[in-house]
Amino acid sequence: MRKKYWLPVYLALLLFLFYSIMAATAIGSVPIPVKDTVRVILSRFISLETSDISRNTVSIIWNLRLPRVLLAALIGASLALSGVSFQGLLRNPLADPYTIGVSSGAAVGATAAMFLRQLTGLNFPQMIPLFAMAGAFAALFFIYNMAKIGGKVPVVTLILGGVVVSSFLSAIISLLMVLSGENMHGIYFWLSGGLILRSWPQLWFVLPYLILGFIVLFFYARELNVLLMGEEVALTLGINVERTKKVLLFVASVVTAAAVSVSGMIGFIGLIIPHAVRIITGPDHRVLLPASALVGASFLVWSDVAARTVLAPQELPVGIITAFVGAPFFIYLLRKKKREISL
Amino acid sequence: MNINIENLSFYYGETEILRDISYTVPQGRFVGIIGPNGSGKTTLVKLLSRLLTPTTGRILLGDRPLADFTQNSLARMIAVVHQETGTEYQFTVEEVVLMGRMPYLRRFQSESSADYEIVNRSLAITGCTELRRRKITELSGGEKQRVMIARALAQQPQILLLDEPTSHLDIGYQQEILELVKNLTTEGITVVAVLHDLNLAAYFCHELLLLHEGRIKACGQAAAVLTTEKIEEVYGIRVLVTPHPVFGTPQVSLLPGTRERGALRKTRHVHIIAGGGSGGELMRDLVQAGYYVTAGVLNIGDSDWEAARALGLPVISEAPFSGVSEERHRDNLKIMNNSRAVVLAEIPLGHGNLLNLQAALTAAKEGKKVFILEENPRRERDFTGGRGTELLGQIREAAVICRDKAELYRKLAMIEGLAGTNAVFKESGR
Repeated sequence: MRKKYWLPVYLALLLFLFYSIMAATAIGSVPIPVKDTVRVILSRFISLETSDISRNTVSIIWNLRLPRVLLAALIGASLALSGVSFQGLLRNPLADPYTIGVSSGAAVGATAAMFLRQLTGLNFPQMIPLFAMAGAFAALFFIYNMAKIGGKVPVVTLILGGVVVSSFLSAIISLLMVLSGENMHGIYFWLSGGLILRSWPQLWFVLPYLILGFIVLFFYARELNVLLMGEEVALTLGINVERTKKVLLFVASVVTAAAVSVSGMIGFIGLIIPHAVRIITGPDHRVLLPASALVGASFLVWSDVAARTVLAPQELPVGIITAFVGAPFFIYLLRKKKREISL
Repeated sequence: MNINIENLSFYYGETEILRDISYTVPQGRFVGIIGPNGSGKTTLVKLLSRLLTPTTGRILLGDRPLADFTQNSLARMIAVVHQETGTEYQFTVEEVVLMGRMPYLRRFQSESSADYEIVNRSLAITGCTELRRRKITELSGGEKQRVMIARALAQQPQILLLDEPTSHLDIGYQQEILELVKNLTTEGITVVAVLHDLNLAAYFCHELLLLHEGRIKACGQAAAVLTTEKIEEVYGIRVLVTPHPVFGTPQVSLLPGTRERGALRKTRHVHIIAGGGSGGELMRDLVQAGYYVTAGVLNIGDSDWEAARALGLPVISEAPFSGVSEERHRDNLKIMNNSRAVVLAEIPLGHGNLLNLQAALTAAKEGKKVFILEENPRRERDFTGGRGTELLGQIREAAVICRDKAELYRKLAMIEGLAGTNAVFKESGR
């Protein structure tokens, strides 16, 4: 509750994230000492003598690894952040960024982009992210308006609508995959989620949404807390519930859509990171939101390291790693706490 | 601050929920809303808290319409303790109570020490100070409810609305919560609460508002609202309203439910000879089991006479503190003659009621089924110097002796045609 009390936690999580980024940049098919990695990165900001490090190494760090690691951190933070928001907003422990169908919308958009490219040869920079974004928004507006009853959006209809629309969109994706024939592998790989060949452009694509999204969500943290007590309670505490829901839904969806657009469907982060963090911090969103973002970022950084190295030189979709690590970890948390999981 | 309700009606779609409610809740009063399920109590509270909007009519706080307030300024004026509050989330008690400061905080403002001071006071008033670090999920029902009231108090409201604040609590917590709430009125807070328990409502509230089918059936002081006629009409039950033995506020006691008894007269008639408190429970059980019960001869004012009267049974009555007269004895024989069975309760035997024993003996000799209830056979209850015991002995020869009520009920149920189809005891009797 009191900020000072949580400051050490934030600092520790930030330090760990910083360490994770440095270490993850150092790890790869060409091992680079962590010390050199730090020096190369810092040399961009302060004058540092790096002439003893080969241009090749600098290039690997700067053009290949660092953007990818940073992107992993951003995506992990985005998914965890929107996961917290959806769980709190929908008052449902099973909610995650994919619950209300936004990610399925993004997936259809991306699949359609790949299908179109194959069919017509149409191509332009950022084609897949832009299509994915469009798909996500189309899904969000469809579901929101479908769930709207007399100016209000009941949480249950929203969840049910999201689940139904997701199933429908999944069918469309399957259809597109079948129709795309030999290109099916590419679509499948995208859907599994991964950061291969992603670099600075994708990073700049995601960053503004994450920053703006975080600011808005953090300012609504107190409302999120009160909403957990029920909508009627929130109303009698002076909160404009429908407007708050609309804002939070929109912002969390935008953050999700941006992340999914560049990385594909990376599962589990939005579900388990909020729960794991909540067990430690409690349900106060003023702590939960930033802490989840930091933990989510570190988690995806390390998951991507595993995706790159486990079957090197072959790369795995990072979604496989998050599921492989996330599911057992979640079960462990459940069993260890030996209590009903709640928000 | 007064709450003025003016010609308020509320329709849910086409269904009328509340119709033409007008009432003024004066500042600093504790008003209880009572009425059967579906009478519109909760709807009225939701209208007062603006969770619902009236179809017609309006509500004024002082002279300002409720609709004119912003959501935030309303939250500073009115606090609500809801029927069900989501408490499955692991907030600490302090965090929950701090939420009551929400209407006073701007978006980027964090809680000041003044806010914490108010939270501390709310916790202290409700006796929750010790609980402040506990998780809300770990608390008992009564503690949770106190925390919810503390949160409401942290809003520093002028009006407190409570929807069944004690419905899941035991009698100790009910008293605790209602005393707490009533004390708030001494600080000028106006309290409106939906209450289910009529006796608690009568005991604690300054005024009552009895709703029936969406309209005000009665309002004002408890004595004027809780009358036998009104309760029987509104709830469809039979009750006895007596003054509280100490304070004189009305107390509502239940009586066995209404039944069409006329038709039972011929087939299911059981006559009870009792007195001195030996027959009250018996009468109630038999009435509940669907028998047509008569009693006599009983002295006016005897506790069994009171019981029979309260149950609405036909009674052969004798003047207070006098022996059974020949006249009443004959009445007794006549009514007994129409009965299918006679039950002689475990009465004290005195000179005054020897004629009642005589009546039982007459019935037994005429072949009527007579049951003697004798739960404490060793107890000395003959105050006639042997005459009573002698008479009883004669009755015993022709009667069935039952050692407890359950045995009596079983044996009654076995009489052909007496038990009827809906007799409760028949199923349990073997």
